Amino acid sequence: MTDTMTSALPFNDAIPGAVLETTPNGLVVAAEKLPELARHLRDQQGYDYLAMVTSVDWPQYLEVVYYLCGVAQPKPGLVLKVRLSDKANPVVPSVIDIWPGADFQEREVYDMMGIRFEGHPNLRRILLWEGFAGWPLRKDYRESYYEEDTKPLKSRHPDGSHLWAEDRVPWKDNVTYPVGVDPDLWVSPQVQYRRIMGVDQGGNGSSLNTERVLVNMGPQHPSTHGVFRMVLAIEGENVVGLEPEMGYLHRCHEKIGERNTYLMNIPFTDRLDYISSMSNNLGYVLAVEKLMGLQVPERADYIRVIMAEFTRIVSHFIAVGFLFNDLGAYFTPALYGVRERELILDLFEAASGSRMMCNYMRFGGVSADLPEGWIKRARETVWDRLPRVLGDFETLLSGNEIFLARAKGVGHLSAQDAVAYSMAGPMLRASGVPYDLRKAAPYSIYDRFDFDVCSRPEGDVWARFRVRMDEIYQSLRILKQALDGIPEGPILAGKKQYQMRVPAGEAYSRIEGPKGELGFFVVSDGKANPYRYHVRAPTFINLTSLEKMCIGHKIADSVVILGAIDIVLGEVDR
Amino acid sequence: MDYIRDFFINFAHSWTTWISGGLPGWAVTVVNFLLGGLILVMMPVIATLALTWMERKVIGRIQNRLGPNRVGPWGIFQAIADAVKMLIKEDIIPDRADRPVFNLAPILIFVGAAMLWAVIPFGRRMIGQDLNIGALYVVAIGSITTVAVLMAGWASNNKFALIGAFRVVAQLLSYEIPMVLSIGVVVLVVGSMRMGTIVESQWVPFCLVLPVAFITYVLAAIAETGRAPFDLLEADSEIVAGYFVEYSGLKFGWFYIAEYGNLMAVSAITTTLFLGGWRGPFAGAAPVLGPLYFIIKTVLVIFVLMWIRGTLPRFRIDQMLAFAWKVLVPAALVNLLWVAAALKLPVPQAVQYAVMLVGNLAILGVTLTLLGQSAKQHAKRHGLAGA
Amino acid sequence: MFLFIVFALIAIVAGLGVILSRKPVYSALFLLVNFATLAALYIMLQAQFLAAVQIIVYAGAIVVLILFVIMLIGGGELRDIRDPNKTLLRRLTAPRVTGAVLALLLLAAIGYGLITGTLNSASGSAAAFNNGSVQAIASVLYTDYVLPFELASVLLLVGMIGAVVLAKNE
Repeated sequence: MTDTMTSALPFNDAIPGAVLETTPNGLVVAAEKLPELARHLRDQQGYDYLAMVTSVDWPQYLEVVYYLCGVAQPKPGLVLKVRLSDKANPVVPSVIDIWPGADFQEREVYDMMGIRFEGHPNLRRILLWEGFAGWPLRKDYRESYYEEDTKPLKSRHPDGSHLWAEDRVPWKDNVTYPVGVDPDLWVSPQVQYRRIMGVDQGGNGSSLNTERVLVNMGPQHPSTHGVFRMVLAIEGENVVGLEPEMGYLHRCHEKIGERNTYLMNIPFTDRLDYISSMSNNLGYVLAVEKLMGLQVPERADYIRVIMAEFTRIVSHFIAVGFLFNDLGAYFTPALYGVRERELILDLFEAASGSRMMCNYMRFGGVSADLPEGWIKRARETVWDRLPRVLGDFETLLSGNEIFLARAKGVGHLSAQDAVAYSMAGPMLRASGVPYDLRKAAPYSIYDRFDFDVCSRPEGDVWARFRVRMDEIYQSLRILKQALDGIPEGPILAGKKQYQMRVPAGEAYSRIEGPKGELGFFVVSDGKANPYRYHVRAPTFINLTSLEKMCIGHKIADSVVILGAIDIVLGEVDR
Repeated sequence: MDYIRDFFINFAHSWTTWISGGLPGWAVTVVNFLLGGLILVMMPVIATLALTWMERKVIGRIQNRLGPNRVGPWGIFQAIADAVKMLIKEDIIPDRADRPVFNLAPILIFVGAAMLWAVIPFGRRMIGQDLNIGALYVVAIGSITTVAVLMAGWASNNKFALIGAFRVVAQLLSYEIPMVLSIGVVVLVVGSMRMGTIVESQWVPFCLVLPVAFITYVLAAIAETGRAPFDLLEADSEIVAGYFVEYSGLKFGWFYIAEYGNLMAVSAITTTLFLGGWRGPFAGAAPVLGPLYFIIKTVLVIFVLMWIRGTLPRFRIDQMLAFAWKVLVPAALVNLLWVAAALKLPVPQAVQYAVMLVGNLAILGVTLTLLGQSAKQHAKRHGLAGA
Repeated sequence: MFLFIVFALIAIVAGLGVILSRKPVYSALFLLVNFATLAALYIMLQAQFLAAVQIIVYAGAIVVLILFVIMLIGGGELRDIRDPNKTLLRRLTAPRVTGAVLALLLLAAIGYGLITGTLNSASGSAAAFNNGSVQAIASVLYTDYVLPFELASVLLLVGMIGAVVLAKNE
């Protein structure tokens, strides 16, 4: 490779030697030049938003993938790749200084692939437990029992006698532990909370000598929306430090996704954000369709949009209702929200046969056509019922004095921070960044509909509530247009088939899920199952800024701020 | 017929006469005292059984649900089923809890809830002990609850419990002041702390004469009983259950009983102080109606409290304390001054009451205006003007 | 008389418990028991108002504050602070000497009262307080003892302002 060739590569005039190669799937970057190039891209080129960080284990090297885009001035995505051929000790400089939103994602890559990020202040496992041995998403990792060389029957009956799998409790001989680790004796390292305990800062600067207390909120706590743990460092009632701990619901989604065939992953995505399975389906099929180059029939596209928007309404109703639960309203708003959800789930059930785990989208269309009378019921919901219920919500909730006092000015996040922390969805828009993928990078047929991007400048809990309420109105607008314009026709491109032929390649699809940018990164090597399957979970990344939003507020506020992120642990932990 | 007109008193007389036939005088006293004590102790339990069912029904309806409807007609035996469940649950004491204090706290809190009933007049002459300091006694017993809660929170050796206990101290001590001040207004007007006298002198319910005192008292009472929107001491969405998070089985049951016993007692005291107690149409002619009116009014107050619980989100600790010190205490103080001044006017009582009412309405108006303005300023500080 | 003996015994035991408990929390709780029995004694003397105030102020506020402070600083068991190496003379620190002198003075005063009979004359004056009614106490408090009353309120005001100043000093 000569100098003239390298200078022809993009960005090499600014940062010489940074980009090594251009591939159809992105730019290959030299590891040691990455921070410099990243800073240049952020400051000079307008790539201010780090949408996704993940990694792929190729036979010759490990690859870290960065997906960048511009939010302040919308820019199409740019993919950076860092190839690390030293599989025994892969090290990449961290970009956490440039994009703080890389925090959890880099930890996840470290957790799954064992790639170390130099300069990351808190690089430890995030989804798996501290004592886990091995890097599960590496191709040489064998999952015990399921991926052993000899398949289940022999391992079930090693000496020919009958032994149920259930009897093989995980901490017997089913799992290997690193040398010197006994799970019964294992104590969670306390040192990991030195930062929030202020141990290294030596005092807290206040004239009153108060003591920091560590409070574990969760994993069994009514307001963490699942098994999520916030380690709070408090002084009196004030939060001075916070560390989110997750992974209690980790179920190897990506690992299993690599073992499944492409089609088997569709119902599997239902379980991610189980409140909005339709959106998950849509994101995944869009990624695979991109790989396959499939054209979707118009009617199927309309059905997809209708379902996705209904899902958004469901999700926002639940989010708003349970936000009030966190505020201490005794279930009433939550149950009002749940009632509307049930009625919309009736529609889902009529179309897909299932209320919650819809498994409705297929590559090239949807699994079944809308039944007789469905459109009529949907129209009644959209034109009559939901506007009326929204009116109830507005009168009962929006003006509530206690709610305003509790929500305004709480959990503030500036627009700059929101972009830097890779916030997505209503969280980003509530900080005054009118960025909506349905407008910024239209997918499916969203460019046909007339709707507004809801945004508020305040950046507090109240703004997040308001943005979600406003988005329900906009979803209704889209639904009205879609229900009016839905054409007759086929609902599936080609014929139904169980085994897809997916050509080798990479695809990243981003959709505006109810909770933010939902991305599916799928790598195919032409075989029956994905070579790599990664989910960019919006709420997982939105949690990155939780500490920043909570510090300086009260314990009660931290619960509300968490509620306003609207996490779903099925998606956070995957 | 006369027997029916004042049934309860006459029944008590017949009872005393009946057992006097076979027992010496001192034994009659002992038996009657024991019976009275038993009734007092049973009141919180009965209140719990009735009110849990009522609360679940009321809140169920508020939330578009049916509420309990499986055990018995309209689910009325649900509370009994729950009680049985609570009795047979395992009693867990945390490993490093302070056992004596841990075990003592539920008893103490229950005693507080039971003792309140001693001074509540259910009807004319139907009162456990018409102390000449009845109103003050209510406050005194209420302050015992604080100690019990603090003991429970500390002995559990749990951080959430301790946070809950600390909140209790801040909350209960703060809200005791507006509560005492508003009781003080009523005592001023009546000129006695005797509960019976307070009821008898209400030819017009005091809530119509002293709305500020009424509202202040009800708000402070909600805070004292730790119910929404002031349920910070047991905020389930923040500190799980606060001070009694580690209690289970029957010991949890004591807290539960004390909570509902206190709820009913506080509503009964509200009825006594501000809603005319057992007074009502024809109650003078037929005293048997008195307890009926009393219970109807009490249940009405309870219903309002449940309604509030089903509708409103919770305050934050600093907002709640600010509300007590910056809103309730000044309003109650001004009200006290105004009423004291009005009482000195050399005019008939009706005119005095009118003067008080005018002053109360003025205080109410000023307070609400100031609150609205401060809310607007709060909004402006966060760049939300006009939002 | 029987009730008086019962309550007096409880009060004495509770008082001993206050100073003999190893755990500060137990001491505070014994103090609460002591205050409660005192309130009961007041009721027996027909001073119901005093009893209620005793409960509100001492049991409801002061013990709560003591408990609060103990819980804040951690209520572990007190260690044995006796140092066997110290001689008897060197253990006589200033607070101990002062305490001993005050206790002796109190004992002497009570003994003097018992011997001369001046202590008994106060026992019959409950009726003079009109059965401890609020009016009787108020009239005495606002006429004969108005200066101490006002001084006490000024003291409380100073304490309150001091607390505010301390808390503001962040």
